[in-house]
Amino acid sequence: MTAGPPTVRPPEEVRRSRSAGWWTATALVLLPALIPPLSLAFQVVTGGSGIGLPFTRLWELFAGTVALTAAVTVTALAIGTLTAWLTTRTDIPGRRFWMIIAALPLVIPSYMAALTIIGATGPGGVLSSWFGIEIPTPYGFVGAWLALSVFLAPMAHLIVTPALRLIDPALEEAAVGLGAGSRRVFFTITLPQLRPALVSGGLMIGLYTISDFGAVSLLRFDTFTRAIFTLYSGQIDRRPAATLSLLLMVFALAIIFIERRTRTRAAYQSGRPRRDRAPIRLRGWARAGSLALLGGYGLTALGLPLSVLFFWLARGIESGQSLGGVGDEVLRSLGVSVAAAALAAVASLPIAMVTTWRRARLSEATESAVWAIYSLPHITVGVAVVALALKWAQPLYQTVFLLVLVYVAMFMAQSISTTQDSLRRASPDLEDASRGLGRGPMATLSRVTIPLARPGLLAGAALVFLSVMKELPATLLLRPNGFETLAIRVWSTTGEGFFTRASVASLALLAVSIVPLLALTYRDLSD
Amino acid sequence: MKRLASTLILTALLIAACGGEESGGPLVVYSGRSEELVQPVIDQFIQTTGIEIQVRYAGSTDLAATLLQEGDATDADVFFAQDPASLGSVKDMLSPLPSEILTRVDSQFRDRGGRWIGVSGRIRTFVYNTGTDIALPETIDDVTDPRWAGQVGVAPTNGSFLAFVSAMILERGEDATLEWLKALAANDPQDYPKNSPIVAAADTGEIEGGLVNHYYLLRLRAEGEGTDSENWFIPAGDVGTLVMPAGAGIVAGTDQRDAAEQFIEHLLFAETQAYFATNTFEYPLIDDIAHPEGLPALHDINTPEIDLSELADVLDDATRLVSEAGLV
Repeated sequence: MTAGPPTVRPPEEVRRSRSAGWWTATALVLLPALIPPLSLAFQVVTGGSGIGLPFTRLWELFAGTVALTAAVTVTALAIGTLTAWLTTRTDIPGRRFWMIIAALPLVIPSYMAALTIIGATGPGGVLSSWFGIEIPTPYGFVGAWLALSVFLAPMAHLIVTPALRLIDPALEEAAVGLGAGSRRVFFTITLPQLRPALVSGGLMIGLYTISDFGAVSLLRFDTFTRAIFTLYSGQIDRRPAATLSLLLMVFALAIIFIERRTRTRAAYQSGRPRRDRAPIRLRGWARAGSLALLGGYGLTALGLPLSVLFFWLARGIESGQSLGGVGDEVLRSLGVSVAAAALAAVASLPIAMVTTWRRARLSEATESAVWAIYSLPHITVGVAVVALALKWAQPLYQTVFLLVLVYVAMFMAQSISTTQDSLRRASPDLEDASRGLGRGPMATLSRVTIPLARPGLLAGAALVFLSVMKELPATLLLRPNGFETLAIRVWSTTGEGFFTRASVASLALLAVSIVPLLALTYRDLSD
Repeated sequence: MKRLASTLILTALLIAACGGEESGGPLVVYSGRSEELVQPVIDQFIQTTGIEIQVRYAGSTDLAATLLQEGDATDADVFFAQDPASLGSVKDMLSPLPSEILTRVDSQFRDRGGRWIGVSGRIRTFVYNTGTDIALPETIDDVTDPRWAGQVGVAPTNGSFLAFVSAMILERGEDATLEWLKALAANDPQDYPKNSPIVAAADTGEIEGGLVNHYYLLRLRAEGEGTDSENWFIPAGDVGTLVMPAGAGIVAGTDQRDAAEQFIEHLLFAETQAYFATNTFEYPLIDDIAHPEGLPALHDINTPEIDLSELADVLDDATRLVSEAGLV
């Protein structure tokens, strides 16, 4: 501050001069993310093995994966957008309560979602024994579609909600002023502005569906990932599964490519300061119908799983089953989840900045790679990393450090995506202005960039936290000996039919997961 | 923000590090048997011997694959697996057990080369809903009979089912096994990822029967259900009643041979064997220990004579045939 007047540099020059630094940062965080695909390719190339599946079977798997991914993405986006719109833009009674209810099902892992559907339906299910409603268990496509859609909808809800809040109300008000009804306003004005959020939410949901094993295995629907798990579990030779995984990654890259083509470069930066708008008033049938929708969703996505878990618990206590302690597991799960979430947030900032504010082929490739890893079945990532670590990084093998690093690589796509959403709404000119006015790069980062990215960084950290809490296959392979997490407890207890202990571990998993989600929703509310 | 993040990371890593990870020291057991089933046995061992133990729990096949991948670099001292196929597939990494341990168990329940020993018996069975009016299978071939069409639960990717198919290959040869699998696939079986949902489904009547291991029903009963189903030991004495012992072996590269041997001896102590019978509902494999309540004695079940040492050699063939038959 004792220096002379700040020299004002033209923004373009500032931008270019900093690129090198950002690229180094990006490259540094990207290295761990590239470990899984590299070692996978290494395994396939050195192993040199076919898949051992006939072409017709591959085609079946392909068709099944495409159908499920498309159906789940569309349904989950529709549910999530609806819940987000109802809870942010209307005067529905109990708005804040519903906002939390719509986000909570995200804490339920897909295998638990599937177990819930199985436990609730069918002849001996909760629905028939408690309420006398008997629905046959929806195995196959329908079951997998329902389970994944219902439990992934909160992802869309969480991504669309902030986007809805940040839309400049002027356009909508103008449309209303010109006589458009609320439905017309939604489809012609609101929805197009939500497009970037919908696209990133859709990618997150779609690629998650591709990588899911829990729901498709329990509900018996054949996808690439289910076939890959079958190959891994059925035989000692792990090469065919690696080859099939590589094929799956190519498929995911194709989806990412298509997404890229449809993504508009439109910037949604509003020059005006934000202001509140009057909520849309719901009356009569619209109000009753909306309440019924939200209530129905809450009952299906939260009520059902909780009743199944409490049913198991009550039944077990009655028969004198021991509950089993989960204290250490809670601590370990929390530890790795928090570490991975924080690391992912730190790592995604430079990548998000480079990919949002600057255009470069390399930056797009970077982003595609991160998404491709996110779409891989977790067992594939685990096996690949085991192979690589044993060969070149033995001291890291079976350490918490490597485990956390792999979590970051697997789930970083989520935090990059939400951070990008935040940055897209701010103009890079703000940064340039700060530099131009003489702030150093660190000061600009901490006073301008990070505050701008903050909502996205936090949302991303919460998503990564939840993903790590639920993660099972890679954890089984990579954890240190004796390092049992909550997800592992749920797996080992249900596998052997210890349903009482399974319900205790599951309830603990849900309880711990709810904390960051509540924090995130409260942030939305306080905005 | 950054400072907050790095503080969080550090604390989290500290918490996380408390959980595991000390090299050297403890006896490392790779256990393909679930923590729910065997942790009390391990705790008992620690209590009586004072030897420190570290267990890695995972699926038996997964651990076998991991062991092969780790090779000489493995920390494992003992491999405790759910089935002879997993044990057999890593037999080159196991060293022969002393004969005073081996002789405690009947020779049909251990490796011919003495590299692993069975410690508790698990039997393949046909679980059925007691309300069914379909005639129960007299042989394993009856399961593919049209009368059972659409009513039989199977877990084609599960290790126990693959061990059963492997045994069938040893008993009947590849061609006949493929034929049986194709007949099964043509009979519209209901597939499940593992055994326990099959038993639950048979109990509720979602299916009329299923090919499983015998103890899942007893487990379900302990949870307060399982009253509407029963185990049926197929009387023909074919692979439908295969005995698959869970067993253990010592990793050749171990630096704790004494402790490892003590551990395997511990699994064969009368108290441990009685624990298996009463708590995990498995058949004890040493003499004079009562078998699980409510089950027939092992010698009253007509079981096939299969050399379990060879099971692992045909495991990959079994996987191939199951997929060739269109079951997965």
